[in-house]
Amino acid sequence: MATLRFPLSRIEGHARVEMEVHDGQVVTAHFQAIEMRGFRYFMQGTPAEQMPVIVPRICGVCSTAHHVASVKALEDIFEVEPPDLAKEIRELLLLGQLIQNQATSLFIFTMPDRVGASSLFHMDESEANPEQQLSLARRSLKVRQVGTNLITLAGGQFIHPIKAVIGGVTSGIQREPAEAMRQEIETLLPMACQLFDEYWDMSLAMGERIGTWGDDQPAYYIASTGRTRPLLNSNLIRVLGPDGAERASFPPSLFRHYLDYEETVYSYAGQTSYQGQVMRANSLARINLALSMGTPLADGYLEKLTHTFGKPAHPILLFDLCRGIELVYAFERALEILSKDLDYEDTEVPYALKDGEGYGLVEAPRGPLIHHYTVKNGLIEDAEFVIPTVHNMLAIERALKVAGERYISPKAINLELEKAVGRVVRAFDPCIACATQ
Amino acid sequence: MPENSSLPRFAVLQLSGCAGCEVSLINASEWVDQYQLVYMPLVVSTHAVPEDTEVLLVSGGVRNDEDVYNLRRSVEIVERVVAVGTCAISGGVANLGDRDEVRAMFMAQENRHHLPHLLPKSHPIDAFVDVDLYLPGCPPTPELFMAALTNPENFEASSIVCSECKRQKLKDMRPEHLLGFQQGEVQPEICLINQGYLCVGSSVRGGCRAICTRPGHPCVGCRGPSDAYIEKESQVWFDRVQNVFERLTDIPPKEIQTALHSPQLSLFLFQFTDYADGERPPRPKEKVL
Repeated sequence: MATLRFPLSRIEGHARVEMEVHDGQVVTAHFQAIEMRGFRYFMQGTPAEQMPVIVPRICGVCSTAHHVASVKALEDIFEVEPPDLAKEIRELLLLGQLIQNQATSLFIFTMPDRVGASSLFHMDESEANPEQQLSLARRSLKVRQVGTNLITLAGGQFIHPIKAVIGGVTSGIQREPAEAMRQEIETLLPMACQLFDEYWDMSLAMGERIGTWGDDQPAYYIASTGRTRPLLNSNLIRVLGPDGAERASFPPSLFRHYLDYEETVYSYAGQTSYQGQVMRANSLARINLALSMGTPLADGYLEKLTHTFGKPAHPILLFDLCRGIELVYAFERALEILSKDLDYEDTEVPYALKDGEGYGLVEAPRGPLIHHYTVKNGLIEDAEFVIPTVHNMLAIERALKVAGERYISPKAINLELEKAVGRVVRAFDPCIACATQ
Repeated sequence: MPENSSLPRFAVLQLSGCAGCEVSLINASEWVDQYQLVYMPLVVSTHAVPEDTEVLLVSGGVRNDEDVYNLRRSVEIVERVVAVGTCAISGGVANLGDRDEVRAMFMAQENRHHLPHLLPKSHPIDAFVDVDLYLPGCPPTPELFMAALTNPENFEASSIVCSECKRQKLKDMRPEHLLGFQQGEVQPEICLINQGYLCVGSSVRGGCRAICTRPGHPCVGCRGPSDAYIEKESQVWFDRVQNVFERLTDIPPKEIQTALHSPQLSLFLFQFTDYADGERPPRPKEKVL
């Protein structure tokens, strides 16, 4: 028996992969989350109203999702419904997060794999002519910056937003900055599409070179999203079966009836299954669950994907292409919202503190995120964070095993395995800070 | 940006944190033209800080034994160490776990295979190594990152958040109770204290450009104490905030005191060394950006 250990980079947080190999067979492939800070424990006793400021610190990459989920969980307990303006601004926040995240995953985390570079900042830029064409790195950062600017505009603080509050938002968005943001998005949308086209071609070339698109066995898919267009701020979780038929649709309060959670001894993160079956969350799940994206350019890309790979599509490297479709969608959808009037008085409704139990759901870039709080005497008695990356753990390990079996034989280990491990993990874009909190 | 570039080399060591500092650094994309990023696991696939690295930015707190090892090993080969963000500077929000019942739950996690061992609490990095510059903020803004990398001496900022916020302080708008952060409709251009919010921007280090208070959220103090308080005991700061509220409101002192000790200010309070633990000397203000 030999143990192969792979350090990981270009993912959020600290993790590694351990494979046990015996006679050329992969016995186990473990994905280990190796850090923990203990938010669930140290949040106990915190005044409930302070949660929306503290919990974004679970993760600086997914902070916006935590911020909004936290506010929604408390609104569930205090029984208040935010006004429409607040919902629009929260959707903008989540779109900003989606842009920032998908651009990061596409260009910073996974594009270097397509050309064999160690990072976006070390890619061969010899063909880039600084006078006519911005380098890939600069263009990627510009497109990503749109997400950051949108979060800042809709959320106040740029990493750990503060504008969503129980019952609404602290303020609307004035016409002038909204228009400036709209223009920035409109200007950069063609650049985002162009980058995605380049990424798409690089991905096809890589698929040809390595001869696989990764684990393509069917799986269950889970997402909180709409049928005819993505919904990031809904109150329902949907599950698709491996055959493409919808199996379940439930509010976050019922997640325990559908999902089984287990801890492991080899990782600080647990893993969930759909009633014992491997399921997948994140971009591919949302795209498999969507009939359309509801915006023209994103729909064009969706059609191209479906035409080439079918639906539901299962190969894991398609997660990456689906992120590109969502990047384009988020640009287009943000343009729609920013064209509306977001500067009127009706920003929030009043609330009164109340004890009880509540659930806040958002579709984070990595999948459905639930905050589940119990409040007693105004203080948090328990705060449970149901994390999308945890839903993907079994799927990650299955895909790692598939990669292991491809590159390990009784005689030798193909060194391509190390790269394959990186590609597999990055396809799922796991977030370890969230998964372990 | 080829590998053999003659640009100065910098590295980012990520300890236990949320990666928000790293995301902010990526947002500060101007460094792309001025520096060579040689190590940062979030964006570069190399597995250790290489030789000849000039500046090491350290983010995150020291939460497990692997953090200690990586920190000690990395600082040896660099010229300048910058502690970035509240976690690296004070242990951060995870300090809320520094109580017996929470520690017991952490320690119950110890029966794991091949994983780093958790320490009883989250430590600031200067508990283990010398730091040349502290860059507080949760996270520091891209502007602050660029200043720390290039010219910390010439960075221009107000001494406190209030001066950058510029909301107007009124004499005749005196709330009788705190609102708590989440309640009420925030009025533009009027000081949040006048509106009954627990805002501590009056004695918190400037340089963030008041990004929270401008859109209407009270300052929770992530930039830490201003120069006037940074080398003092935390009690001096508590008294000062108390005074500000007495001057501008009719809120009972007891109410302020209780609120000031609540978790929402944990990002801030633990930056007072005497508040986090009694032994370490305060950080000298010359070393804080």
